[in-house]
Amino acid sequence: MTLFRLALRNALRNKVRLTLAVAGVAVALLAFVTLRTAVGSWDSAAALARRDRLVTRQKMTFIMPLPKRYVADLRATRSASGASLVAEASFASWFGGRDPARPNAFFASYAIEGKSYFDVYDEMHVDLADVRAFEDDRSGAIVGASLARDMGWKRGDRVLLESPIYPSPDRLPFAFTVRGFYESAGRSGDEKLFLFHWERLDAALPTSQRGTIGWIVSRTPAGASTDDVAAAARTIDAMFAERETETLTQDERAFTTGFLGMASAVMDVLSILSFVVLGIQGLVLANAMGMSVRERSREYASLRSMGFSRRWVARLVLTEAALVGALGAVVGAFVAWLAVGRGLAPFFERDLSFFFPVFRVTPGTLALAVGVALVTAIASGVTPAIGTARARLTEAMRRVA
Amino acid sequence: MSASIELRGVCKEYLRGAATLPILEGVDMDVPAGAFQALMGPSGSGKSTLLNLIAGLDRPTRGQVTVAGTPIHGLGDGALADFRARHVGIVFQAYNLIPVLTARENVELPLLLGSLPRAERRKRAETALRIVGLEGRYDHLPRQLSGGQEQRVAIARAIVCDPDLVIADEPTGDLDKKSAEEVLLLFRKLNRELGKTIVMVTHDPAAAEAADTVRRLDKGVLQ
Ligand SMILES: Nc1ncnc2c1ncn2[C@@H]1O[C@H](COP(=O)(O)OP(=O)(O)OP(=O)(O)O)[C@@H](O)[C@H]1O
Ligand SMILES: [Mg+2]
Repeated sequence: MTLFRLALRNALRNKVRLTLAVAGVAVALLAFVTLRTAVGSWDSAAALARRDRLVTRQKMTFIMPLPKRYVADLRATRSASGASLVAEASFASWFGGRDPARPNAFFASYAIEGKSYFDVYDEMHVDLADVRAFEDDRSGAIVGASLARDMGWKRGDRVLLESPIYPSPDRLPFAFTVRGFYESAGRSGDEKLFLFHWERLDAALPTSQRGTIGWIVSRTPAGASTDDVAAAARTIDAMFAERETETLTQDERAFTTGFLGMASAVMDVLSILSFVVLGIQGLVLANAMGMSVRERSREYASLRSMGFSRRWVARLVLTEAALVGALGAVVGAFVAWLAVGRGLAPFFERDLSFFFPVFRVTPGTLALAVGVALVTAIASGVTPAIGTARARLTEAMRRVA
Repeated sequence: MSASIELRGVCKEYLRGAATLPILEGVDMDVPAGAFQALMGPSGSGKSTLLNLIAGLDRPTRGQVTVAGTPIHGLGDGALADFRARHVGIVFQAYNLIPVLTARENVELPLLLGSLPRAERRKRAETALRIVGLEGRYDHLPRQLSGGQEQRVAIARAIVCDPDLVIADEPTGDLDKKSAEEVLLLFRKLNRELGKTIVMVTHDPAAAEAADTVRRLDKGVLQ
């Protein structure tokens, strides 16, 4: 018999109350982990966006095209110091392709310029052999590894896509051959693109509309400071200001956070809410503990009559609260890990990957959740513990159980 | 091994609203070491109040309480708890066992206050249970015992630390005649064989006969 064992027996005493308390802590923890994971994932969307990458688009709207010559002009541009303004430049056009056989499978498809695109997006890893096979095949495609898995596409598979924006000349879907896959470091949500040759798209257009692209992507030279990047963006826009199509150039993070900006206030609220949930659970727990302790006031008085100090009795109550909290925390952490990691994460990463690129329960989040739940549980025992320790012995003895 | 009790001019008042309610009014009492005294009196006469003062569960409003040579009327909470742990075993009418602990664990509980190793605590708890005639009931929970057996577990718990003094407040109040007799027999054994000083409050004249001396408390005055 030890204080710990007695606290444990007391905790296990009322099975219904214990089950409810543990379930309460577990549910609060689940909510906490979900909210924290969403907030963390959200932050990582901005963190993963690159500062040194620039996106140049038509000034008014993303939908309007740019002349393809702009890419060559940008590549030729020198900065004041005489070096190239950008280290790499490439471009893409939105295709909006869909597999007519699977109209519910949504993924982004871009028409790109092969190798240069992968140079700008250097976190995309493509086997050199795949790049060569892609370059050699005008109807080749490079597909994100995650998308390929979802769709069951293998190398050499024929993929038919139709686009609402670009009807093919023969009214048949565009036919592509999968030539390889790319993997993306960090953002699994980015392994969702279907990429093919821009020439293919251009050739499908009437002659008058050829030679346009969706947007330019470029990367500033290594070691460029934030100011350098901003200056480069201004230089690009100034350069095209006098031309037939004006541009707007932003670094990727500004682009991303600008897009996410509004919702980040919501995320702040969620962040606060995640702690509020545990706070409320703490109050509920405090009430349950208070009830248990009141029912046993005679037993605590009896312990004190044997010579146990007020402190010892308070510790007994706190230990019990901690045990209930710990049990709830362990169950809750497991449920959260299962529900968020196995249930919600794939959904978020697949369908909301722009907002939540990496929806993963980190050990840090779990540890924080367990820690906060434990602290809350112990805190919930403080008032009952003090009440028990302070009770006048002779009065507590008289109280009939 | 045993304690004498000495009360001098002990007064106890309770506050009821603005009024003070005198319960004990100048009680003088001497219990020699090794005595077995019974305390009787009408309900509300202050018997439990007096017992609580002797046991160090409460402090008098005025007067001196000396137990086993220690003046306890001036002790602080911590010192008083220490005093109880060292010198007093208390038995209540309602047994006050911890329902989630077995007989042995209940008896072992007060030993946590000392520094005995686990095995030794267990051994002593079993010895105490043997003294009260409950060998073979070590692993029973209180609800698996009869009232008389529960009270005997409570007595084992009261003596497991080998106190000088055993205080009992109507220990047979909830028991049938036969169980009450067993408990009283046990008290006599504790008194005669183990030399414990015993003060027992009772309403039952038959129970009082187990003691050497019977004292009466009426309206806060000890006769
Ligand atoms: N904590 C308290 N606050 C106020 N009054 C109290 C308190 N404790 C006891 N009393 C009062 O003191 C008086 C004596 O109580 P006590 O319990 O000592 O009587 P008793 O002789 O043991 O009675 P019984 O035989 O019924 O157990 C009673 O009138 C009781 O109401
Ligand atoms: Mg009484």
